[in-house]
Amino acid sequence: MSPRRTETGGRVDRLRTIRFSFDGASYTGHAGDTLASALLANGVTLFGRSFKYHRPRGVLTAGVEEPNALVTVLRGEVREPNIPATMVEIYDGLTAVSQNRFPSLAWDVSAVNQLGGKLLSAGFYYKTFMGPVIGPLKGTRFWMFCEHFIRRAAGLGRAGTAADTSRYERMNAFCDVLVVGSGPAGLMAAKAAADQGARVILTELEPRFGGSANWSGETIDGMPAADWAARAAGQLEGNDNVRLLPRTTVWGYYDGNTLAALERVTDHKESPARGEPRHRYWAIRARTVVLATGSFERPLVFPGNDRPGVMLAHAAERYANEYGVLPGERIALFTNNDSAYRSAQALKQAGAAIVAIIDVRAELSDEMRRLATEAEAEILSGHAVIATEGGKALNGLKVQRFDMLSGALTGDARSIHADCLLISGGWSPTIHLASQAGARAEWDASRQAFLPPKPTQRWVGAGAFTGSFSTAEAIAEGRAAGLAAAGSPGTPAALPDVEAAPGEPDPAPVFEIKAKGKSFVDFQHDVTAEDVRLAHREGFVSVEHLKRYTTLGMATDQGKSSNVPGLAIMAEALGKPIPEVGTTRFRPPYTAVSIGSLAAERFGDVKPERLTPMHDWHIANGARMYSAGLWYRPMIYGLAGETVEQAYVREAKATRDSAGIVDVSTLGKIAVQGPDAAELLDRVYTNMFSTLAVGKARYGLMLREDGLAFDDGTTWRLGEQDFLMTTTTANAGKVMQHLEYFLDVIWPELKVTVTSVTDEWAGAAIGGPKARAILAACVTGSAVDNATLPFMGIVYGQISGVPVMICRLSFSGEMAFEVYSGAGYGTHVWEALIAAGKPFGLVTYGLEALGTMRIEKGHVTGAEIDGRTTARDLHLDWMLSKKKPFIGSAMMDREGLIAPDRLQLVGLVSLDNRPLNGGAHIVEELDEANPHNSIGHITACCYSPALGKHIALALVKGGKARHGTRAFVSDPLRNRFGPIEIVSNHFYDPDGSRMHG
Amino acid sequence: MLITCPYCGPRDVIEFTYQGDGNRERPQPASQDIDAWNAYVYDRLNPAGDHNEIWQHSGGCRAHVRVVRNTLTHDISSTAFAHGGHKSAARHRTEAKS
Amino acid sequence: MVERQLPVRLSPLEPEYHPGSHGNFEQGVDVILSETRPGSILQLAAWPGEEKRLMSAIYKVAGLALPDGAGGGVANGVRAAFGFAPGKFTVVDEAEGLAAAFCGVVTPDVGTVTDLSHGRTAIRIAGPKAEWVLAKFFAIDFALTAFPVGAGRSTTHHDVFAQIQRSGGDQFDIYVFRSFARSFWKALCHASEEVGYEVQ
Repeated sequence: MSPRRTETGGRVDRLRTIRFSFDGASYTGHAGDTLASALLANGVTLFGRSFKYHRPRGVLTAGVEEPNALVTVLRGEVREPNIPATMVEIYDGLTAVSQNRFPSLAWDVSAVNQLGGKLLSAGFYYKTFMGPVIGPLKGTRFWMFCEHFIRRAAGLGRAGTAADTSRYERMNAFCDVLVVGSGPAGLMAAKAAADQGARVILTELEPRFGGSANWSGETIDGMPAADWAARAAGQLEGNDNVRLLPRTTVWGYYDGNTLAALERVTDHKESPARGEPRHRYWAIRARTVVLATGSFERPLVFPGNDRPGVMLAHAAERYANEYGVLPGERIALFTNNDSAYRSAQALKQAGAAIVAIIDVRAELSDEMRRLATEAEAEILSGHAVIATEGGKALNGLKVQRFDMLSGALTGDARSIHADCLLISGGWSPTIHLASQAGARAEWDASRQAFLPPKPTQRWVGAGAFTGSFSTAEAIAEGRAAGLAAAGSPGTPAALPDVEAAPGEPDPAPVFEIKAKGKSFVDFQHDVTAEDVRLAHREGFVSVEHLKRYTTLGMATDQGKSSNVPGLAIMAEALGKPIPEVGTTRFRPPYTAVSIGSLAAERFGDVKPERLTPMHDWHIANGARMYSAGLWYRPMIYGLAGETVEQAYVREAKATRDSAGIVDVSTLGKIAVQGPDAAELLDRVYTNMFSTLAVGKARYGLMLREDGLAFDDGTTWRLGEQDFLMTTTTANAGKVMQHLEYFLDVIWPELKVTVTSVTDEWAGAAIGGPKARAILAACVTGSAVDNATLPFMGIVYGQISGVPVMICRLSFSGEMAFEVYSGAGYGTHVWEALIAAGKPFGLVTYGLEALGTMRIEKGHVTGAEIDGRTTARDLHLDWMLSKKKPFIGSAMMDREGLIAPDRLQLVGLVSLDNRPLNGGAHIVEELDEANPHNSIGHITACCYSPALGKHIALALVKGGKARHGTRAFVSDPLRNRFGPIEIVSNHFYDPDGSRMHG
Repeated sequence: MLITCPYCGPRDVIEFTYQGDGNRERPQPASQDIDAWNAYVYDRLNPAGDHNEIWQHSGGCRAHVRVVRNTLTHDISSTAFAHGGHKSAARHRTEAKS
Repeated sequence: MVERQLPVRLSPLEPEYHPGSHGNFEQGVDVILSETRPGSILQLAAWPGEEKRLMSAIYKVAGLALPDGAGGGVANGVRAAFGFAPGKFTVVDEAEGLAAAFCGVVTPDVGTVTDLSHGRTAIRIAGPKAEWVLAKFFAIDFALTAFPVGAGRSTTHHDVFAQIQRSGGDQFDIYVFRSFARSFWKALCHASEEVGYEVQ
């Protein structure tokens, strides 16, 4: 049974019963209910415990600004905390639990926190835990001891640990006019813009379009406002140029009229349809935005204003009119403005008894007196509420005569029996998005509110957002905004007429009733009026500091209901008018945004990855892969029972003994074409390329403008004006951008096209003493002997019917060849090479063996070309041409770059036969207890099968002069200390006889 | 932030790569004037207001774009190809639109 | 020519290419996905000022009359061409060997020809929800008014560079780097589940 459900009325579907659970108890509600409305209908008043004091809390609002009634929704093992119950649509099987209570909501042990109120006042954590350690119970160490207990007691909902398996997606949208908010203003704006032919997107954060029309009880165009709104939304839906987005919160307004919105696609369903995302993140680029975001009702600040049963006036009106739920039977209202009288009337009509309207204003208009009389309410003008009574539910309140100008309370307090107290402290336009868009809000003394600033981006405001709180104004402004946004003057048209309750928009300038007891400003963060004053007494005068010190407005609701009262109290403490105190700027997001929606398809199975043409072959043949940037490359091809080290040692040894083959398709490849191609290469490489013969390759080094080493690789001259440049895998993109920059910005006169052809070619490097014999066995159309294919020569032939290009060059130090074919034929050629190599003992090898052989040869890679080393540091100064300028040539000889004590590339041999570690430091004297005086570090290390030793490459101060000397490796992180010998980086075959064959 | 690429039209900033201060002047390649090189490599203007910047439309046509951007407001007052020779293509775009 | 018949090129999508209906297709499929596997994909680049000569070379060799303007393009079902950058065009042919046909025509004083037939993978998406699905990936406006039939666009989905040509009212051809093709294809299928899709 639903004790608080009205007999009739509301826009819920009473024929459909929905079953759900809250804190383990089963309840029923109707389709169209929120969790808040359904629980209220069931007589539930206690929704949660507060952040710091664990005070019982009910539901304060009916919408997105709810600070109190936060719940955790459970779906299987996945839990989502901190969702306002006012924003949860119920569905069959919904399971929600309350938060921040232990062991149960009704009986909470931490509620003793409120007995020691002073203990947890503003700045408690700073004062108690930060700063120097004085005594055993002060300072940071004490914090580390207490943190676990405090974190458990404070805070909001608990995050889950189960993986969220929901799907999230991103959507890009473009429109002429984005209308944010679908109240009467937004609906009129969308219609006006759509009628002009503009592409329109209309977003509404709630499930139903219409905003206040759904509960205002007003009449528009002779029909109930809710029906008018439904009809207007229906008409819009039929337009091809309009996209309607319900359950979509625009949460960010960024530069260039780019807006971010979150659509909750399936949160209201038992389960999503196949492929349907839970949330969609909409990135909307709008030519013009219409902000029709409405306004928030503000609470009043007085002792006990947080007790369950205290609710904003319009929220109660909304529960009655939209959901058919009465939040109480004996209702009192406490207000500083006219709008609460309409609420009183609505609740009276819905069946509640209105026991009193307490108004801080001594003078009331005749119209308000008439509304109160119609509601059969006692009028207590010039009065204020000074206390509320009850435990987990309200049962009464105390009122006293109040002087609005002095704030003085006089006379005796009087008790009023009520189970619900509705409060209204005036209205604040929802200016968050306008504030995000760039400009400072302006205080309006008559509205007692911050009004939207002058637009700095292309937006137009309409309705309550602008401070025009009546529906008639909203309709007129909405239409005007829609036309303006569509760039059309429009034609004069009759506007829908509105029948509404009377009332003036301006409240009395009263925010707080100062009386004994805790008066809450920020409900969600448990910040009281006294906390604000304490912050002021302690010297926090800037509103930005006040916010951070008290945490006012920093909870998940971002102070939607508390910012203005907080500022008003601060302003009074400072003795300054509100506009001089200023306001903080709103920042995205407007409401909580799921991280999943931001990660979207970047995460998990569908994240981008790059595969070589032979990828599937590697997998099928036992390769263990690892990722190198976005690429996947074989690490080892392990045999059964082999460790990684055993595998790479075997692979490297077999390559040096007979032959090995490795997939080098990931090497960056850039086609450099055009009449000035050779000239460009002369400028970007330190060595000469214009002298390179067609059909030959050359190793090249590039520097950055500042003279430091940038990248290396071989470049092949395929034709007079046609080069194929190769780069390291990691730097392919950077080198491409480097070339493009110089061609586009610095040397536009050069006629050169650069194109990434990395993906055009499959590459296999085959090396070892038997490599040439293997090629001879499978290549047709060209010889591969030393005369036809000398070191750095290029030939064209076929392998298994596929055209290939073969260049003789070596990274492993063995006689080696790179075989390139069209990527679509890569696996075909690879398999033919493997088959041809079988009689010669050819092995496949991965990156580990590749790395091992390059360390043995002392070749540099990205670990040594680390952005700090020069060509000289790496002993590549033989490549620095003196015949021409090149990028970096002017800067590379600066004093600091040629100093003798720079880190230079050396080889290291472990003298204790234990492995070395990358990143370990090199020292002259070992001091394990106090490691110091590093003279360098290890960049790469391996066990060398060719040498039978653990070796490494390192960058060591004045390294070349230290060849043959001993030093120590000092690696306190991994507790590895021991003697090493510093040697040349050319460990293996230093004269290159194997390579040149 | 949106940047209007002279070729592709307005695109999201995520498609672009910042390529530095557009006021830098590279000395002649053979210049030995180390002060001029130093200024080119290291000195950057950091105005509070309009700034002449080079952006590459790296996630699009890959052209470099000279952008005048207000560093206080992010307002972009003009964009043009950095490569003077592409000016005709910019006119192409305008013609196509009108 | 006495060259042996070349083996069939391997598609990078192979293990993830599953013809048939997928996803939420009980109410019908709203997009059709396919790999078009053209024989030739070329990049033609003109030096500044030589664009018109290059465009007439494209007309002469491929019979495609390119419209003026950035991103202008044309597709006839067998061949297609579109501009994707200042002075640069992608030209596609069902048949192999188009690069050789251009070699003598695009002379060094006009520009360059770069063969990307292996390096790019062509994926087609067609159907009433094609724009909807593509909007999940690319931050460009797919509406017909903003992206007319025949036109080309260069854009990016995360690190996946893409050239897109609208080859029909609700049909788009997407050219991606071969190494990214499989992961992009998987993502495209994933994103199409919602509307129901068929792989042809």
